[in-house]
Amino acid sequence: MTRALVVFAHPCEESFAAALKGVVVGTLQKRGWDVDLCDLYAEGFDPVMTAEERRGYHAVPGNTRPVQAHVDRLLAASALVLVHPVWNFGPPAILKGYYDRVFVPGISFRLENGKVKPAMTHIRKLGVVTTYGASWLRATLAGDPPRRLVTRAFRHAAKPDRLLYMALYDMNRADAARRAGYLARVEHGMEQF
Amino acid sequence: MRALVVYCHPTPDSFTAAIRDLVLARLQASGAEVRLHDLYGDSFQPVLAPAEWQGYLDCTQNCTPVGREVADLRWCDTLIFVYPTWWYGLPAILKGWLDRVLLPDVAFLMPDGVNRTIRPGLHHISRLGVFTTCGASRWLTWFVGAPGKRTLMRGVGLLLKPRKRSVFAAHYLMDSSTPESRARHLGRVAAKMDKLIGRPAATPAPQPQGARVTQ
Repeated sequence: MTRALVVFAHPCEESFAAALKGVVVGTLQKRGWDVDLCDLYAEGFDPVMTAEERRGYHAVPGNTRPVQAHVDRLLAASALVLVHPVWNFGPPAILKGYYDRVFVPGISFRLENGKVKPAMTHIRKLGVVTTYGASWLRATLAGDPPRRLVTRAFRHAAKPDRLLYMALYDMNRADAARRAGYLARVEHGMEQF
Repeated sequence: MRALVVYCHPTPDSFTAAIRDLVLARLQASGAEVRLHDLYGDSFQPVLAPAEWQGYLDCTQNCTPVGREVADLRWCDTLIFVYPTWWYGLPAILKGWLDRVLLPDVAFLMPDGVNRTIRPGLHHISRLGVFTTCGASRWLTWFVGAPGKRTLMRGVGLLLKPRKRSVFAAHYLMDSSTPESRARHLGRVAAKMDKLIGRPAATPAPQPQGARVTQ
């Protein structure tokens, strides 16, 4: 059975992001997947890397200790799906802090003679479901940083068989029909994922 | 010149702290007024709270939780970020500063009946400086697309004055840096700061008619 870790970052249950999370989790469960939902806000995740963590950042394996439970959940998964809004051309701080603190050396990448080698290779499927306030054009002109973080950096860390990046741009002006269309696309995407 | 310096690093003895000190010294030498936001030092809370998200679009109230930050952003004409690059991007504490402070009616204006898209709201800021360190090489950072640099130089940059002056400097391969490479980098930061500050915009002295300008 495929075990998926769904990492969700949004403060409010009534948000569209929460609806997307519901579709992702529901669709994967319907396929018989074992889904572990990590709701960063609900779990009160602290995104700020401390001075002590920074000093021990490269000390494999002790560097995972401050976030061991999150590391164990990540290691147990063979699929990772990130569900979040894009704020200011990046993931919300709480999710960026999850990357900062959990994707540490030895877990996400290894340094061999100063070269970065992938270590998250147990993740065979990597997916993102997100929304942007910016239009596609504006995001692309800005270089679409959140997309590149996943399609380049995380792809390099995991070398997944399947990479899916789904985005609804110009979210502030998306009417009910566009939102429903995106929810349907996400459902279809997760069925095929 | 009024400069807001937003700085973050968890350890006070870091190279990033040395870059901050150099930036502050250059600003002070130029006679600029400076305000420093030390996000770790101030224990800045980067997580946008549920109540803030619910009140995000209420422009009469949304600044209240970050009053000092918004006031300084409105006050400055020069915005400088000094931070380490983690996962090709901004540390969470700095990302949260953007999330919570760059609010509608502060940093940008939301679409309305007349305007179909988001419009910039920080046209009073005419200088942008970004100083960072990267564990990755220059090549790898370029390949990934330098998300952190782009978030600030383009994402935030798009909100500022259109013909602003902007500078960027990064020390790559930070984990294999040497005292020489760090000293070279501080030299680059100093040069970029001089470029950012430019010549003091003093009122030009009146020239008598027909006077020849000598070098």
